This record gives sequence, structure tokens and C-alpha cells, in this order.
Amino acid sequence: MVRLLAPGGSLEMARTAIDEGADVVYVGPLGYSRRPYESEMNDADIRAAIHYARAQGRELLIVLNTYPSPFELPRWLTKAQMFADFGAAGFVVTDVGALHALRRLLPKTTLHVSIGSGICNARDTDFYRSLGADTIILPYRWDVAEIAAARSASDIALEVFLFETVQTGKICPGKCIMSSYLRFREWLEVENQTSFHGSANRGAKECYRVCQAAWQFGRDDAVPIDLKLRRDARLMLEQLPRFVAEGVTCFKLSGRERPVPMIRDLVRFYRKVIDRVLAQADLLDEYTEELAELRLRWVREKSKRVDTLMDRAASYAV
Amino acid sequence: MFELSTDVCNIKTLKNEDLSAYDAIYLGDFSCPEYPNNFSSNPKQLKKGLDLVKSHDQKAYLRLYAVPSNHDMPWVEELIDTAMDLPFDAFEVHNLGLLRVLQEKKCTIPIHLGVFGNLYTHETAKVLKQYGVTRVYPNPELSLKEITYIADNTPIEVLLPVHGKIPLVISETCFIMEHTENTKLCGNNKCNFPCLEDHWLKRGRKDGSSNDWSLKDTGRMTLSGKDLCLIEHADQLSSAGFTAFYVQNKGEAEGYASKVGHIYRTALERAFAGDSGIDCAPWLAELDALSHEGLCNGYYFEGAGQRYFGRA
Repeated sequence: MVRLLAPGGSLEMARTAIDEGADVVYVGPLGYSRRPYESEMNDADIRAAIHYARAQGRELLIVLNTYPSPFELPRWLTKAQMFADFGAAGFVVTDVGALHALRRLLPKTTLHVSIGSGICNARDTDFYRSLGADTIILPYRWDVAEIAAARSASDIALEVFLFETVQTGKICPGKCIMSSYLRFREWLEVENQTSFHGSANRGAKECYRVCQAAWQFGRDDAVPIDLKLRRDARLMLEQLPRFVAEGVTCFKLSGRERPVPMIRDLVRFYRKVIDRVLAQADLLDEYTEELAELRLRWVREKSKRVDTLMDRAASYAV
Repeated sequence: MFELSTDVCNIKTLKNEDLSAYDAIYLGDFSCPEYPNNFSSNPKQLKKGLDLVKSHDQKAYLRLYAVPSNHDMPWVEELIDTAMDLPFDAFEVHNLGLLRVLQEKKCTIPIHLGVFGNLYTHETAKVLKQYGVTRVYPNPELSLKEITYIADNTPIEVLLPVHGKIPLVISETCFIMEHTENTKLCGNNKCNFPCLEDHWLKRGRKDGSSNDWSLKDTGRMTLSGKDLCLIEHADQLSSAGFTAFYVQNKGEAEGYASKVGHIYRTALERAFAGDSGIDCAPWLAELDALSHEGLCNGYYFEGAGQRYFGRA
């Protein structure tokens, strides 16, 4: 079975994604999912989203992919139990110890390994399978050969983002703490957290996307060059049939921070593309024009978002 | 009483540097397999390096490549096979897939989890112990309070970095090679090591001030611009029960590890002897002079990594 996973950055977005045909919607509780508070949800909204998804025969995943503080872990597990009791289908998790503890607490739940784990090779997927993970999301950097290797390494289900492969660049998320080195801020009241100080990786603070800002680079004695630290990934189309053939069963649409109409259109688009691929029709040429327009919208919205985050970063004390 | 360690990437540096202040040496550069004669990627260099370290009555830990792709696994395994026949005191591992490999090889050499192993919780430390991990390098984002909690609640030793640039992000490809136009490959299509010269990432603020943000880039790894410094807190570290301390040396000029090591050796010995009235000012000035962008306290006191809090 191949499934389309879509973001729920708000209750409205979660409902929209389900209406447009997402099989699974993922949402993040306030302070637990590496996003600013406006792209996370309070517990009441999560409960409502779970009920809405279940009523339509769909599933809701809870993103608990921060690296919790050791002091926070008991509360983190209590939260997870509460969402399971609400009817959540599973969790997206990063921390090895938290994943292991969650598997013991909820033996029948579904556990997805987050992109924040920063895996590098097929043996990594095997490691997480040994801990009891059911599904692992693969890095943007991986193409068909890496997927095939992961398929051979264990029986863990494979998930990919709907982005084209970008094989260079700094490994983020999973191996990056640049943002919190440069800027930090305290918790906001709405985030309902005070127990420890953290960073984007830990839920408390947003990642300011410093890698996507303008930098100057070079030797001390040379004229610097202007650049960004990472290349942008483009929305995927052509790779999709090959990935399905290699055994990818979950295709994940990013974008909890994007506007709801953009997510609506993207879920609608990828629903029909995936259905076409599953119907054994590999010719996707008729979708290229529509994809081009969506790619433009994606880049435009991403650029606005980076500007907003950098402005916020500049406003916080070091 | 305590162990002070640092890192050395190849035999040339090992021979040239005065490392007498250290009890243990992490051999190898875990970020770049191409680095000249890197212990982490050259099995033939291992015995020479090990013998030299042991001849100084120091412990020798071997660093394994931090981000091995599937393509890298065969040569990393070859290195491991060679190293398992040598009396290394530990392997440093950053990659969880390699823990599976070492387990399958029935490796009995102790394993240290490296900085890119993402150790944030005591629960993770407990899981990793089952894979033979005996020491962990906590993620730099953790505060001293959190690290103390992990040390107190796990059966694993915690390595505490006390000085040097903080590893912030790693890459499977070389940022310098990708972005520096005048960088050319040598005739045999191999790297000509532009990283041997310092490269910096800088970004000014909108208010017009320049170079507000500064990071050091060694090609496959980006480090903090400022040098982490805990010299003012040596007494706090000894009273908290830490016994393994580390000076980060990757990307530094010759002489850095030596000067920093001797300062910390003296400061820690006095702190462990119960001397709480140490005047750190001269050391602080010397360490500041060795840095390119000044000093910081990392995340230890619950702020952005580049802040310097000083003695509370």
C-alpha cells in the first residue's frame, strides 16, 4: 500500500488535507515538533483533528520529533500516552532513547523515525528497526540505489519527502545546530513550556533557517563570495514511479508553515499523481505544467518564510 | 583523578605537536576521509600513530568517519578490521549504523559516542550501552545541568568538552570545493586540500554592523566562530563529578592544542586539589588571544551557543 502523508500545521490545514485525499495527516503538539508555535497545535485541536481523520477513515500521526531534555522525558511520554488515548495512529520520533521508551509504553502504536535522525546509510535504517521503529523517512540526498540498499537491510517501511534528490550540502536536520549557536530566545507563554532551555531541535525555539540566508564565504585574505549554505530541494514528480517500484510506501508532503490554500492544492495534485502511478501509468508528462506552477508558489512562500524567521532572529538577544 | 584529551588528525601533527598536557588522544579527523593521511581513513597509518601515542603513556582512541554512506561502508569496515587487531583503548563512533556493524563483528574494544551521535537523553545513553558504548559526548546544545543529570543517571561516562570550537554541522561533501571558484583538483583528480587555509562564513546584520555572525568552515564540517571556554568554571566541573575533559583541536593551527592543554591541565589539577580561588584572568587573556573570534560558553549556561557568561 502506498500512502500520501500531508501536513497539518493547523486544524484547518489538517481537515483540508484530509478532504483533498491525504491518507495520513501529521500534526505537532506545541513545543514538541521543531516548528514555531503558529505551525503547531494545542491538544484540543489535535483531538479534533484525530476525530475528523478517523471519521473519514484516515489516520493522524503525532510529531514528537524534538530531542527532549532528560528532565522533560517523563512529561513527553505522558503526552504521547494522551494522544494515543485520543486515537492517534502513531508518532514521528527522533531521539533513540525516547523511541525505545515509547515502543515499550505503546507496543501496538506505529513509530516513524523522523528526518531529524540524520541517517547516512542502510545500516542506520536497520539500527532503528532493531529498536522497534516501523517506518523511517529517508534523507533528501538518497536516490534509487540508496533506497534499494535500505530495502535490503531490513523490513522497515520506507518513507520519502516529495522532493527531488539533492546530493550535496550540509546534513540538516539531524546534524546541525547552527541556528541555536547564533540566536536563542525564551519560551513563549503559548508554548506552555518552562522546564528547560532549548533550540529548534528541542522544540523550544524555531530554526531560523540560517542556512538559507545570505552569507559571505572565503579565506581571511580573499574577497568573499556570496552564497547560501544549502541548495533548495524542488518538489518531486519524475522520480515518483521509480521510488514506488523500489518499495517506498509513504510519500510525505512537507509544509506545516505554508498557507492552507497551498497545501490544499499540493495534496490535490499529489493525490492524483500517486493514483496515476499506482494505476501503472508511468507517463506523468501531463502534470509537468501544473507542477511548474506549484514549484514557483513553493519557492515564493519559502522565501517569505525565511525573511520572517531572519527578522525574528535579529530581534532576539544573543 | 581526571582525563584530559584532544584530537590529532594525522602522524605529521602527532609528531610536531607537544601533547604532553594530555592523557589521551583521539586519532583521526572524523569529518573528511580525504584529509592527508587521516587516521580515520588510512589503515596503514594506525599502528604508527598508536605506537607513538602509547610511547608517551597516553591512551589512544580511534575516530571513525562520522557520516559514512553505503559507498563508504566497505573502506570503513576495512579500517575497523585493521584497528580491531591493535590495542586501541576505544573507537569513537558517530553513526548508529556503524554500531550495528561493530556489534556484528563482536568488537570488544570500548566505544565512545561522538559529537554527531546526537546524545540528548539518559535513555539514549542506556540504549547505546547495549551496543558497547562506554562514553558519550553529549550534544553541544545540552546545558551543564542536563549533562550532569545524564552523568548521574546512566552507567556511562560523559566526556565534557571544555575548550575549542563547537562542531555545528557536518556534510558528506566538501563545502569549500563546491563553492570556491579557484579551487582546482590535482592532476590525479584528488583534492588539493584548500581547507589547510582557514575559511570563514560571515554574515552582517540589517543594521549595517558587519560580521555579526561568524562561523569557521573546514570543508566537511562547520564549527563555531568563537572558541568554547570553561577555564573560569574548572572548580564547578570538578565538584560536579566530571572526570573526562576534551579540547577540540580540529582546524586549529600548530601549537593551539599544546598551549590550551597546558593551561587546562594546570587549572583542572588545581580545581581537583580543592583550590577554589584561582585567578583565571591571565589564562583567559591567553586563550582569548589564541581565538580568532573570541570566546563563548557554548550552551552550558542555557543561552545561545556563542554567548560568554563568565563566572557566575
